[in-house]
Amino acid sequence: MNRPDAAPDGPLDAADLATLDGIRAMFERADPMPADLPERIRFSLAMRDLDAEVARLVEEAGAQLAGARSAEESRTITFDSQSLTIMIRIEPNTDGTSRVDGWLAPPERRDLEMRTGETALRAVSDEQGRFAFPSIQPGSVQLFVRPTDDGAAGRRPSVITPALIL
Amino acid sequence: MSDGSSVAARAGMPDRSVRLASLMSAAREGDEAALGQIVAELSPMLWQVSRAAGLTASDAEDVLQTVWLRLVSHLHEIRDTTALIAWLVVTTRRESWHVRAAGRRQLPAEQDWFSTRPDQAPPAEDQVIIDDQHRALWAAVAQLSPRCQELLRIVAFVPRPDYQAVAAKLGMPVGSVGPTRGRCLAKLRVLLDGAGRGVRDEPA
Repeated sequence: MNRPDAAPDGPLDAADLATLDGIRAMFERADPMPADLPERIRFSLAMRDLDAEVARLVEEAGAQLAGARSAEESRTITFDSQSLTIMIRIEPNTDGTSRVDGWLAPPERRDLEMRTGETALRAVSDEQGRFAFPSIQPGSVQLFVRPTDDGAAGRRPSVITPALIL
Repeated sequence: MSDGSSVAARAGMPDRSVRLASLMSAAREGDEAALGQIVAELSPMLWQVSRAAGLTASDAEDVLQTVWLRLVSHLHEIRDTTALIAWLVVTTRRESWHVRAAGRRQLPAEQDWFSTRPDQAPPAEDQVIIDDQHRALWAAVAQLSPRCQELLRIVAFVPRPDYQAVAAKLGMPVGSVGPTRGRCLAKLRVLLDGAGRGVRDEPA
């Protein structure tokens, strides 16, 4: 059945290249990248802190709030970086904004910034590593964690999360 | 079948490589606009890499953000455009597997993109002709092993001059002279050949 011109160790020829072009065209149609993704990536690159560690999303869980309407659900998300674990719980407020409560491990006082397209909300975590942003507009946000100005966290690196949709 | 010129146009002509190389050196100097152009040019390829690894769309977006942020701190270590593309593809694939292994919102083993028919979008006039070819190709690719499907999907988006370097990094065999067809493409060729001779699984 295997014809000589279909040998796995044969050189890639024009027919193979045409097949690969066909596969490419097929997936470009069936599963295209969201058109605005490069813009969102450029946005997060422009906001980066050159020395920051990039946290990785390691876990996400959603839970229906007891007695709540189906659209109202809380999400718990955990991010890990080399030096820090960040856990946040996102809950909807009644006015369409979201509340974010978070914990840092190891627990310590750090400056936090929740960045959206136009604004940056600020918060400070307490000695137990707890922090809160009571009201965040819907959209794409990123959390930045920095040492406090008084040096409470010593020379620990800044940490940045991937963008999240609230 | 495509003619030679369209293959060459897709292949990533040398001037594309030259242009990417100059964007890279500008980006190393801190030129944000140049970095943005690299992101715009290569993200569609990385999207496919991440989706081929079985990630949901939203996980794929997270992975791409992470990979580009990481690239910024590695840009000075990457010597040329081939190394850039290989680094991006390999890092995206590894990062995608990390996210999958974290066990959140995984797709079932059956990859979901074969439930999305390529002909769902309203066809433009000139697409009616290629649709038949795509349907045959789609059916043939669907018969390959998941690993072959993933590899071919990645390789199809890699600029041709970089194919060999990326294939080697992905563990695909590369001949001593140049890129070889490889097992997956060989199998696909036999399947397509069978379809072309009218040997079809489904009644017409």
